[in-house]
Amino acid sequence: MVNLVVEHLKYRYPLGNELALEDISFEVKKGEFIGIIGENGSGKSTLCQAIVGLVPNFYKGAYGGKVLVKEIEVAQSDVSEISSYVGIVFQNPFTQITGSKLTVYEEVAFGLENLGIPREEMIKRIEESLKLLRLFEYRHFNPFELSGGQMQRLAIASVIAMKPDILVLDEPTSQLDPQGSEEVFQAIQDLAKNGMTIIIAEHKIEKIASYADKIILLHKGKLVDFDTPEKIFSREDIEEYGIVPPVYTRICKSLNVKNEAGFYPVTLEQVYYELVKVYG
Amino acid sequence: MRYLSLYQEGNSLLHKIDPITKLLFVIIAILVPIIINTLTMALAFFIISTLLVFVARAFKRTLPIISFSSLVIITVLFIQGLFYLKNQTPFFTLGPFVFYKEGLLYATGIAIRIFNIINAVAVLIFTTKPSDLIEALVKKGVSPKIGYVFSSVLQIIPQMMSIVDTILDAQKARGLETEGSFTKRAKAFIPLIGPAVLNSLISTKERAMALEVRGFNSKKKKTFLNEVPYNKYSNVLQVALIAILVFSIIWRIISW
Ligand SMILES: Nc1ncnc2c1ncn2[C@@H]1O[C@H](COP(=O)(O)OP(=O)(O)OP(=O)(O)O)[C@@H](O)[C@H]1O
Ligand SMILES: [Mg+2]
Repeated sequence: MVNLVVEHLKYRYPLGNELALEDISFEVKKGEFIGIIGENGSGKSTLCQAIVGLVPNFYKGAYGGKVLVKEIEVAQSDVSEISSYVGIVFQNPFTQITGSKLTVYEEVAFGLENLGIPREEMIKRIEESLKLLRLFEYRHFNPFELSGGQMQRLAIASVIAMKPDILVLDEPTSQLDPQGSEEVFQAIQDLAKNGMTIIIAEHKIEKIASYADKIILLHKGKLVDFDTPEKIFSREDIEEYGIVPPVYTRICKSLNVKNEAGFYPVTLEQVYYELVKVYG
Repeated sequence: MRYLSLYQEGNSLLHKIDPITKLLFVIIAILVPIIINTLTMALAFFIISTLLVFVARAFKRTLPIISFSSLVIITVLFIQGLFYLKNQTPFFTLGPFVFYKEGLLYATGIAIRIFNIINAVAVLIFTTKPSDLIEALVKKGVSPKIGYVFSSVLQIIPQMMSIVDTILDAQKARGLETEGSFTKRAKAFIPLIGPAVLNSLISTKERAMALEVRGFNSKKKKTFLNEVPYNKYSNVLQVALIAILVFSIIWRIISW
């Protein structure tokens, strides 16, 4: 089942000279894990914001094409209305804490209160999302007392509680230490296993290689390719887009180890699988 | 966790009364003695609010405010006792100074009114969490945006102060003098302003988006996680308080 359609999306920021997104089209099926990669300024954040309707509803500017989430056109709808279809998590965990709630539990309630969710349903959803993000034991903590990784997981829990079909994450671990990042990736993986559609812009290429079903490669606002990690990282011209393939891919490339389909492996497991085939 | 609040945990009767009722009491304790401008009325409310301070077990915390304002009151007593325009009846003398009954009474009236206000406000702020008061007001129809501004400021200011502390510590560790004379401290502080302000400007945009996607501008009717767990007499209390206000206005009009 398709639950996100992007058709000929074009966008220019109000003060921008060039198109930040240029004729982007792709489709995402329910439960897919999609990575968005590209060098700095390639349009990853802009694309993430367009999927949730912040572009063009929060940032005005010139907009063309369509983004459909479950057949609803996001540009024509309120961002708050869209929030029960698609949610977004940003880089900085600090700025996503509302600051108006005194406990982790109440923080998750914030969005639900705004949407007018009945209290019993609210409690159910809060507890579910806190458990899913492994924050339940911290429910009485003040949000500002959490570590970076916990805070980012709280941001995710707060969005998940609004029951979106799609979760968009824009470099959610770029401001975290390795342990915090690991916690967050673990959490995202759990969500994916639960059937949530994940779209994540990320510079950490090995993470994308091992988690993503498909990757969107952006360059200067254009969609260069949309395919499996093996195909994307096996591209001869990949480095021209400012992307350094995962270390496993580079090793296999220099040893010319390919899988059956003719692409280089991108994760340790895949390398292992191929090597076992060769050396027994 | 640091949070701008004077609230003190407790289980007094006043902790159990809902914030709106207490706020209503503060308003009435201030207004009624103004509407019915007699010393008796002022005294009556002073006695009530003082009793409530004790019931709230907030006397110890109110005392510093009372003592501080007493300094001002004593000056007023002196000035009015000596120089009040309607002074006629000498009350006592202190060296060359003659204190008059009229002036002293007048000053006492002022003192009673001020202490009444302090006590009434103290009852509210020492027994009510600011977040509860704000939420109660939002439930009564105050805009959630205004509510958000107040409740986030209460948390974000201490948050920013702790960031400044962290940076100051870091500077100290690098040998910069951050303590001592005012100029020294100012010199250490000024370089912080740029990054702190810039940082908060950048994060404002992201915070605005984060609020937006959590339905901050939603047109739906808001619901609340926290129910009002307060005691069932609060409606009766509120009606009684409003009745007192209405009666005092009527009284004032009749007796004009
Ligand atoms: N608010 C804005 N106003 C004008 N132009 C902008 C704005 N935000 C981004 N841009 C421009 O749009 C283009 C795409 O930016 P975007 O932030 O989407 O890139 P990105 O891939 O997320 O980069 P990064 O890896 O640095 O996060 C860039 O050329 C950028 O300069
Ligand atoms: Mg970005």
